[in-house]
Parts: sequence; C-alpha cells; structure tokens
Amino acid sequence: MNQFRSGDAMLTDWREAAGRFERAVAGAVLGQDQAIRLLTIALFARGHVLLEGDVGVGKTTLLRAVARALGGAYERVEGTVDMMPTDLVYHTYLADDGRPRVEPGPVLRQSEDLSIFFFNEINRARPQVHALLLRLMAERTLTAFNREYRFPNLQVFADRNRVEREETFELPAAARDRFLMEIGLEAPRDPEARRALIFDPRFHDTDALIAGIDGGVLDHAAMAGIGAAIQHGVQASPAIQAYVIGLWEALVRPAQAGIRLPGIDMESLVQGGASPRGVAFLVRAARVRAWLEGRDWMVPEDIRAIFPQVMAHRVFLEPIYEMRRAAIMPELCRAVFETVPAP
Amino acid sequence: MRIPPAIRLGLLLALLAQSAVAQVRSVEVRTPRPFGYFLGDLVRAQVDIVVEPGFTLQPASLPQPGALAYWLDLRDLGVSQTRAGDAQRVRLSLTYQSFYAALDARALEIPGFTVTFVSESDHGATTAKAEVPAWSFNVSPLREIQPPARDDPRDYMRPDGQVGPGDPRPLLMGAAGSAALALLAFAGLARDRTWWPFRTRRGRPFGVAARRIQGLARRSSPEAGDREANYRDALLALHLALDAGAGRRLLADDLGDFIEAHPAYRADRPGLARFYEASRRTFFGPGPEAGRGVLPLQDLADLARRLARAERAA
Repeated sequence: MNQFRSGDAMLTDWREAAGRFERAVAGAVLGQDQAIRLLTIALFARGHVLLEGDVGVGKTTLLRAVARALGGAYERVEGTVDMMPTDLVYHTYLADDGRPRVEPGPVLRQSEDLSIFFFNEINRARPQVHALLLRLMAERTLTAFNREYRFPNLQVFADRNRVEREETFELPAAARDRFLMEIGLEAPRDPEARRALIFDPRFHDTDALIAGIDGGVLDHAAMAGIGAAIQHGVQASPAIQAYVIGLWEALVRPAQAGIRLPGIDMESLVQGGASPRGVAFLVRAARVRAWLEGRDWMVPEDIRAIFPQVMAHRVFLEPIYEMRRAAIMPELCRAVFETVPAP
Repeated sequence: MRIPPAIRLGLLLALLAQSAVAQVRSVEVRTPRPFGYFLGDLVRAQVDIVVEPGFTLQPASLPQPGALAYWLDLRDLGVSQTRAGDAQRVRLSLTYQSFYAALDARALEIPGFTVTFVSESDHGATTAKAEVPAWSFNVSPLREIQPPARDDPRDYMRPDGQVGPGDPRPLLMGAAGSAALALLAFAGLARDRTWWPFRTRRGRPFGVAARRIQGLARRSSPEAGDREANYRDALLALHLALDAGAGRRLLADDLGDFIEAHPAYRADRPGLARFYEASRRTFFGPGPEAGRGVLPLQDLADLARRLARAERAA
C-alpha cells in the first residue's frame, strides 16, 4: 500500500513536471499547443514521432525546443539524397597523419546515452537509410564495430516536408508503422501569435530562442521508468477495451460498420494496415493522455484526442484514393468516432 | 256370361294398357312458336307430365345435356315438381340450340324421348313410362343462297357495331378521388415513418429514454448486481438519446458543442455534465458505485424527464 501511494505521488509530481515542460516549449513555439501536447504524450509513451508540415511552420524549431527542454544527449542529421546507412553509423575521415580513420557516427557517438535522435527532412534520404532506422526504432539496438549497441532512452524525431516531392523518397510502410505518431503542423491561426512570430525579433533568432528554454525541466534518464509506471498505473475498463476494438474494426472495415463517405466506394477504400502494433501504440498514447488529464482510468476522449495522429498513417488505402489521403483520412477518422458507440 | 278366352286376354291387355296409361295421366309439350328460327337460335320447350301420386321421376331417364344430333344440342334441362290436384305434375324445361344452316325454310323435328317414373311399395316397384312425342319447328335461312358479287370479300361482312358515347366523368372523378385518398394515406404513413418530406421531423429520443429510465428506477431491486445493471442500462438509455439528438456519438467533451447546437437544453447543462461524469465513472472508471455517487438513479430519471420536457417544448 505504501509502495502504491509513493508511486501515486511520483506520478503526480511527474504530471506537474510535464506541465512545466509544455509551458517551457510553448514559450518558444507559439500557437502549437496541440502539437506540443501530442509531443508530450509521445515522450511519455516512449514513441517516435514524425512531424509533417509546410515549409517554415516551425517543425525543426519545435523539435529542437522539445529536445532542449527534455535534456539528455541529442544528435541530429539532415537527410540528403546521397546519404548512406553507414553515414549514420560511422564517421570516416582522413586523420592528420594521412591515414583513414573510422569512428562512431552520429547515432553511436553519444553511445547509450542518446535520448533524442533528430532526423531532419527524413524523406530526402534514400530507402536504404529508412531500412536502417527500422531496427533502431523498433528494438532500440544497432550492430556496429562487431558489437551490439543499445539505446534504452532513444526516441527518434523526424520531420518531413509535405509539399515537395522532387528528389524525395516516400517512407516505407514498415518505417511509418514504427512511428508512434505522425503530427501534422500548420501555421498558427491565432492573429496574436502570427503577429508575434512575424514582428517579435525574439522569434527570428532560433538559436537564441532555443537556448532560452530551461533545459532541466524533465529528467530524461527517468523517462523510461516513468513511462512504464504510467502504462501500469492507468486502468482500461472492459468498456474502453470494447470501444477500442470497435474503433479498430470500424477503421479497417468501414463499410461493415455502416460508414458512408460521399464519392468513395467504402467496400474497397481500406486495403490494410492498422496493425495490432498500431492499436497497442494507440492505447499506450491514450494512457499517457489520461494520466496528463489527471485520471488513472481511460475515457473515450483520450482515444479520440490522439487517434488521427496515431492511426491515420498506418492505414493503407486503395491506390486510387491514396492521392487524396490528406482529405479522406480525417473524414474517415471523424466518421469512425461518430459511428462507434462509446459506452 | 261366358267370355271367350281370347277376348279375355284382349281385355286384360287393354286393362293393363289402360292402367299404364292411367298412371301417366297426360304429357303436354309447349313451345313458344314453331317457326322463325335461325342458325344458332335457342329453342325452348316446356314439357308437363302429370302422373299418379306416389310416382317419382327417375332422373337417369332424362335426356343428358349435350349434342343430340349434328345440328342440335340440348343446352339445358330443368326439372320442377308440383302438385296438381291429387296428382303430381313434373315440369321439364328444355333449352335446345339449333345449328342447322338452312338454305330454305323447312321443318325440323326434335326427337321425342321417354321418361320413367317409379312407385315404390311393399310389394315391389311399379314403373310407368311417359312418352314425350317428337315435335317440329321451322328454321329459316339467314341470307340468300347466291348473294350479289362484291369486289372486296370483306364487304360480305357487316360493319362492326358502334359503341355508344359513354360519359367518363363519373369514372374520372372516382379515380381522382381515390388517388387523392391514396396520397393522403401515403403522406400519413410517411409522416409516421419519418420518410423523406418528414425526415426533419425529429423523433423524441429523450421522451423514449425518460420512460425507459423511469421504468428502471421503479424496478429498483435490492440485489446489488441487478441494481448495477439497472444503473448501467439507464445511463445507456440516456446516452442513446443524446447520440440520437446530436446525430452522432456524443462524448463528454462534446457537451459544449451539443448545447451550442441545441439551445433548448441549455438549462440542463449542469445536469448533463453530471450525467457524463457519472457515466465516465461507471463505464470507464471505478464503477457504478462511484457513478451513483455523482448522479443517483432517481436524479438521472428526473434529468431525463426534464430533457424530455425541453424536447417537447423545442
């Protein structure tokens, strides 16, 4: 009992810390409260995040701010079309004495302390590089220099330019499935935030802005433990379990669930995806949200708040509808929640 | 006086014959007219036979309707029996049809027949036969033997008869009236079923929910398991009503939007918030005990009744 109470108190303390973390990031990145909340959820759910959005909306700034506020070792690479998997793992160069050297690359440099690996413009890298990420993301291990490296605290943050399609490579389905969330980022709509972003010089110097964030809000080394404590501490009632199963079924077989979208053949819309891993991720993230909201049990709103970001990119549509994915998936997610009975 | 045997036998025969004749008192054939019949005409005849009392007609002895000759059919035969004084009268109504295509006026004979009567007694049966005599009638040709030549063979045919001008107005009025009635009835059905033009007419989900919850609240059983199930059912009933009212699944966080879209329920917003809190605790949180702490079943029934009233007023 005593143990339980202390665990309870710990979770409460961490909830306050999470609030401070959100406020710290929101001080540097204006008008992205929802994205910050989702990123916080992803941090405590120990999941990887893919950020997607227009040019210059602050994808990189947001991820840098989060990395700064979280603290811990941080590495960053830029995706380029000539990048090879070995460029991530090894750093090869000619030393002063003229002899070639092979040293640990960006992923290995910080060794096992690495807490955030930030892959900028991930869709500019070739599929070989994406393939290397598969194991790194799923198992948090990597074999290099004839031994296995482990990264217990690693979280991969990636961002992707949505508009440009020249010289880019679509992420393979397996790699996309390993991301906990795909968060779409829009420019803020709030006029105040827009004015500040444009006219306030504080937001023009990104480096100074990031440096202004308090770096020690969260203890990054304890994140894995606290994440596990949240997963064990938040209850899922039989009703919510049935609800999640119902949502999953409706998403994969919308026609049978009675969902109709205008101009779309529902029978053949969804080809596959929405893996059990994806639904497990969904519940993980929902538990974190319930905890952030101050509950130790989940409600349907927890699922709904993160459902599009966690599930939408895991669903594979019929190729004819794939080009309109950005319009169809939000509609489908909305229809699923309007159809499946909650309690 | 001695009577020679030969004469005696003759007398006896005469007596016998007379007795047989006496059993059938008279046979009379009546026909409307014996002339002026054409091809296909019906010829009706009435045969009256008067017999001694006690004699009954043997139906098998009557002629059977059907073809009697190549030119003559018996179409119909009716029998009626009446009393005539102390005797019995049997009346046969015969309808013949003649198919004789006569080329000149000539007499045709309809054959006679015999009808048998029986009198049953203790000593045995006595039969009597009534001879219906043959009788004749005259048929005439329909046309001359050699008609004048025509160019078009169709001219031999008579033109089709004209149908008199009928008055369609009463029929039209009747049809229009029936159609109007049918439309009215269909409109009533559509309204009842909330089909297309009445689709916007909302059902009364809160009214249904209020009745159901009232029923559940009244059926409060002391057993804890039943009570929990009742409470869950009551919550579900109101959830269904809210979902139906909003047209989608309504979660607790959507309450604000719902009130915005349906201002009629604004007064019950605190009650609805309590309801959602109770529902959360019941279905997703600690359990029905905690839910009842927030909103007891009786309060839930009151809330549903208030919502139903607001729904009627809206």
